[in-house]
Amino acid sequence: MLRRIAGHLYWAARNLERAEWRARLVDVNYHLLIETPPRGSEPWSPLLAIFGERETFASRYATADEDSVLNFFVLDLENPNSIRNCIINARNNMLSLRHYISSELWIELNTLYLDARGWTSGLFSSPGVFAFFSELRDNFYQLSGILQTTIPRDLAYDFIQIGMMLERAEDVARMLDVKYHFLLPKLEDVGGPVDLLQWAAVLRSASGLEAYRKRHGNSIELKKVVGILLFDASFPRSARFSLDQLAVSLKRIAVERAESGAESQTSSQSQTQSSSQSCTTSPAHFTALSQLDASLKNDRSLQVLKAGLHQFLLEIQDGCAAIGDEVFARYLRSD
Amino acid sequence: MAAIVLETSTATPVWAAYKSGEGMFDEMLDLANSERNGCQPTAKALFSMPPDWFAEISGRAQQMFRRMGVTFNVYGGADGVERIFPFDPIPRVIDADTWATLEAGLIQRVRALNMFVGDVYGEGNILADGIVPRDLVLGCPQFRRAAVGIKPPLGNFITVAGIDLVRGADGRFYVLEDNARTPSGVSYVIENRLVMTRLMPDLMRSCRVRSVERYPADLLQCLIEQAPGAKSNPTIALLTPGPYNSAFFEHVFLSQQMGIELVEGQDLVCADHKLYMKTVHGLRQVDVLYRRIDDDFADPLVFRSDSVLGVAGLTSVLRAGNATIANGLGTGIADDKAIYAFTPAMIRYYLSEEPILPIVETYLLGDRDVREEVLANLGRYVIKPTGASGGYGVVIGPKASEQELAKVRELIIADPSAFIAQPVIQLSMHPTIIANGSKSGTQIGTQTGAQIVPRHIDFRPFVLLGAKPRVLAGGLTRVALREGSLIVNSSQGGGSKDTWVLEA
Repeated sequence: MLRRIAGHLYWAARNLERAEWRARLVDVNYHLLIETPPRGSEPWSPLLAIFGERETFASRYATADEDSVLNFFVLDLENPNSIRNCIINARNNMLSLRHYISSELWIELNTLYLDARGWTSGLFSSPGVFAFFSELRDNFYQLSGILQTTIPRDLAYDFIQIGMMLERAEDVARMLDVKYHFLLPKLEDVGGPVDLLQWAAVLRSASGLEAYRKRHGNSIELKKVVGILLFDASFPRSARFSLDQLAVSLKRIAVERAESGAESQTSSQSQTQSSSQSCTTSPAHFTALSQLDASLKNDRSLQVLKAGLHQFLLEIQDGCAAIGDEVFARYLRSD
Repeated sequence: MAAIVLETSTATPVWAAYKSGEGMFDEMLDLANSERNGCQPTAKALFSMPPDWFAEISGRAQQMFRRMGVTFNVYGGADGVERIFPFDPIPRVIDADTWATLEAGLIQRVRALNMFVGDVYGEGNILADGIVPRDLVLGCPQFRRAAVGIKPPLGNFITVAGIDLVRGADGRFYVLEDNARTPSGVSYVIENRLVMTRLMPDLMRSCRVRSVERYPADLLQCLIEQAPGAKSNPTIALLTPGPYNSAFFEHVFLSQQMGIELVEGQDLVCADHKLYMKTVHGLRQVDVLYRRIDDDFADPLVFRSDSVLGVAGLTSVLRAGNATIANGLGTGIADDKAIYAFTPAMIRYYLSEEPILPIVETYLLGDRDVREEVLANLGRYVIKPTGASGGYGVVIGPKASEQELAKVRELIIADPSAFIAQPVIQLSMHPTIIANGSKSGTQIGTQTGAQIVPRHIDFRPFVLLGAKPRVLAGGLTRVALREGSLIVNSSQGGGSKDTWVLEA
């Protein structure tokens, strides 16, 4: 597989996962605000903080009211990470590699893209915010279902997985970080009773509320929320789970490279070989992955909460970025 | 053959108003009235369809193409550059006998063109024998000195050719021009068919239409057969200029169908006179490159040095015989509009056969007497620049304004050998669905309703040369959607139809 193509697959997956997280968060926040009247004057600003986009937003909108924030997150073509732009980017990434994905996946994504191109703010009044987001969520479920059932488990699938899982681990950490920061400003609250509704909303953003209740019952405790979202290897949106999937894909690629040894032999004789390609001492070893893997090995949620959750979440995000860099250097860079 | 009026008793109202052009060949009506060709069942079935059906299938076809992303890019547009190639669901039918003649004529023609290219870049016999003027060939903008001495396996310079045919008022097919560089359009042939099998499955079954599905497999086979050293399992890639090229969809489609890599210039590198692509596991040698970029951009060391679309060193790889490209460098001499005038002579020279397909009478304006004759009656001719393709720069005398004629006259006088003149061919017409009240007929919905009108069409069949010639049983029928227009190119408001070649 071409390095350029692998890069497109990786970015298409990241964009889709990003769009999905955004849709989940905006949706949950919106409905939360209907149920609980906002305490602060700008109930949407935590969401802006989650994505680190307060400045971008402030430079273009006067107030963080519902209309502006919905517009900014969903529709705004000037916002490089709006849901619409993520979908457009994912589709344009896939445009160059239609031959690597199934036509079913392409048609579904292209249809979503055509819809997204035509979105207007009128959609939030009719059919309404709820209908809009539930349809969007269904679209993402369809895409992931088609992906899982039509793409062979080969390189294409693995690069999609790597992009998706890196984005997922990063997004879950980011979400937790901001919620934690905004919901629990006081240290003494840590480990104590928390704002039930708010944390239920966090779980719901990750489709984890039902899973949580099945495992831990009705009482919501921060330690257990952190446990399920970061350390639980069985929960499909946790950082731990994402990392495991990532490791599986990276390993499969490394094995394939080892097996294709004959080819890299030919190529390493040529002068155009880049340094990253020729350093093939230990193909399976990714330093950044091993580090992050170690920190998420056992459920240390209480320990982490005591030592400072924010610091730990930053570690996860930095770890993801470092893994991304290693993947790029080893497989995607084309010079 | 002209202005046939339908029997109103059998036709639905949507057809009652249909009147084909005076003195023109109407593909559907003229053939429907002829006893021996087998086109009647299709025509009869279509005549009996309820009026709403036409608007409905047009709408459904459009929606399918949009969802499938079957698009082409228009040069010069910024956003929304992807457009659907307008599609008309009324099929164009070619009976088995007519097709047999066309097929033989196409194979004959492409074989001769291919031999011509190999000869020019090899021995040069046809020039030495004075059959084609040496100056014309060596002075042709498409002549590539870098191709001299390159010996492709099997001697094929042309692997894929698209031959543009038109049907004149006499009902005969004429060759209008050849495309021997990077002809496009075949993906629409296959996608059109896919849509048609969904739109009118029963009709297709009952008419016994020949399949077009094999094309990608045939093309792949031709490419495999031309691998250097007859390698049994060669690595093949399709080279595209990228997503902004007008035919990008087709590049994606063909690489998908053939299961080969779609590469851009940045993915390739030449080393030690070998061609490689950059894969996630290192470099991998490429044996056959099906390239869809022009010669000019193929190798910055030899052609345009500012090009980043090709790969530096490609020419030396070819010269060393370590890779094959299809089509070969310099095949543009075979589809040059002035050299076209000598194609019947080439067929006689190389094959000792009489041409099966006639060409359109062609005047080379480099000759003074000819030029003066044409300039005196400019309004009667079609003037074509020899270097351009895609219908750009063509002036159709009878339809041109005074200013247009004056302008082309100036251009001809300034550079006479850059133009040819041909008599106006009345392209045949075909019933075509357009939206009510629309002149161009691209947006048809059930709300607007539709009418059926005659529109000019042409035909581009595709010929493949590998170890043996293979012809796709069908081709791209293009339709000029604007009333009276003779320009069928997609870049200039043309659409397409499915072409049904019937089983013998």
